[in-house]
Amino acid sequence: MISLREKILNTASNLFQTQGINSTGVDTIVAVAGTTKMTLYKYFSSKENLILAVLEKGHQDFQTWLNDKLNASAKKPSEKLQKLFDFIEEWVTSPNFTGMGFIKASAEFPSEDNAVHQLSSEQSRQFRQYISTLAAEANIQDADGLALQLSLLFEGAVQAEQMKRGSGAIKYAKIAAKILIDGAVKAH
Amino acid sequence: MLEKSGKTPSGRILSLFEILGDWLTAPDLHVKLPAQLTAHNLLTSYLAKQATALRAANPEILAEHIALIAHNAALQTISEPNSNHLAHAKIAANALIQAQMQKEWPLPKFTLSKRAVYGAAASLFVIGLSVTSFSALVQTLAPQNIVTAIDQARNHTSSDIKAAAFESNPQNVSLSAHEAATMYAKYEQMRNGTCQFPEAIQIPDKDKAIYLENVVGGKLPANLKDLATANFYLEKVRCNFTPMLMANSVG
Repeated sequence: MISLREKILNTASNLFQTQGINSTGVDTIVAVAGTTKMTLYKYFSSKENLILAVLEKGHQDFQTWLNDKLNASAKKPSEKLQKLFDFIEEWVTSPNFTGMGFIKASAEFPSEDNAVHQLSSEQSRQFRQYISTLAAEANIQDADGLALQLSLLFEGAVQAEQMKRGSGAIKYAKIAAKILIDGAVKAH
Repeated sequence: MLEKSGKTPSGRILSLFEILGDWLTAPDLHVKLPAQLTAHNLLTSYLAKQATALRAANPEILAEHIALIAHNAALQTISEPNSNHLAHAKIAANALIQAQMQKEWPLPKFTLSKRAVYGAAASLFVIGLSVTSFSALVQTLAPQNIVTAIDQARNHTSSDIKAAAFESNPQNVSLSAHEAATMYAKYEQMRNGTCQFPEAIQIPDKDKAIYLENVVGGKLPANLKDLATANFYLEKVRCNFTPMLMANSVG
C-alpha cells in the first residue's frame, strides 16, 4: 500500500505534467489526492519543496528505468550506447508519456536564481554526464562532445513531443543519434 | 541575414548556429537574445521553407526540432559563455538533416478499394515529381506571406500562430508557406500509417476531383484554392499508426 506522502507526490506529478506546474494550485493537489493542506505541508513544507521532490522522483524513475533496460539488453558498453535511443524512443512513444519533468520545469521557471530551475539544469547536466559515461566506456574519444550532441537531440525531441504528441521527432532523433554515434566510433 | 548566409538550404539552416554564436559573443547584444528567440514560429517557418527545399522527409518536424536545439544551445551558451554548445548543436542539427534525407520512409497501407489503391500507387510517382513544383510553389508564396507571418508573429503569441497554422478554413485561400509546409507534413505523416478516408460519395461534386487527386492520391495541389480545399478534407482522414515492428512484419 502506498504511503500518503507517495500518493501526494504521484498526484502532484500527474497534475504538473498535464496541467503545468505554475497553473496547478495546492488546493487542486490536495483535492485530487483526497487529503488536506495540513497533511501536504507536513510532508512538504512548501509548494516549491513539493515541486523539487516531484522532479527528483521523476528523474530517478526515468534513470532507473533506462539503466535497467540498457543493462538487461546489452553487455558491451558500445552496444549500450547504440541502444540508448531505442529505449528513449520506447519511453517517449509509450501511452503514459507526458513529458520530461526537468525540461518542462526549466521552461516554467526560467530564472537562474530559482531552486526549481537550478535542479532542472542539474538534472539535464546529470543526464548528459550519464551519456558521456556510456560513451567513454565505449571508448569514444570525445565522449563529452558526443554526449552534448545526443542530449541536445534528446531534449529537442522531447520538447517537440510535448508540443505535439506523436510528432515523430524522436524517430528522426534516433536515426540522427545513430549517425553521430557511428561517426564518433569511426573517429577513434 | 539567414537568407544570405548560405548557398544551399542545408547551408542556410546550419548557418543559424554560427549567426547565434556571433550574436552571443557580440558585446551587449546577448541580453536581447532570449526575447529574439521567442519568435520561435517565425524561425520555424523559415527553417521549414529550407527543409522543404531540401526535400526532407518531414520538413515541419525538422524545422521545429532544429529551432528547439538552437534555442536550448543558445540558452546554455548564455549561462556558460565558454561552452561549445552551439558548435555541437550544429553537428546534431546536421545529423538530423541527414536522418531526414537518408532513406525512403515507409508508405501508408491504405484501407481502400483496389482501384483507389492503384490510384494512390500511381500518384506516388506524382508525389515524387511534384516535390519540385511544391518547392516552386512555396517559393512563389513566400515573399508576401513571410511578411504577413512576421507581422503575425509581432502581434500574436506563438500558440495563437500555431493554432492558426493547423486550422483548416476552405474559404481562406491566402495560405502561408508555413501552412503549405504543414500540409506537406501531414501527407508525410499519413504515409507512415493506415488511413481511413471518408467515402467519395459524401463529398460534394465540385470538390470530388480535388479530394480524390490531392487527398486520397496524395498529390500536392497546383494552386492555393485547391490547397485550401484539400486541407479541409485532409482534416477528415483518420489514421492509425502501426508500431514499426508490426509494420515491418506485415510488409
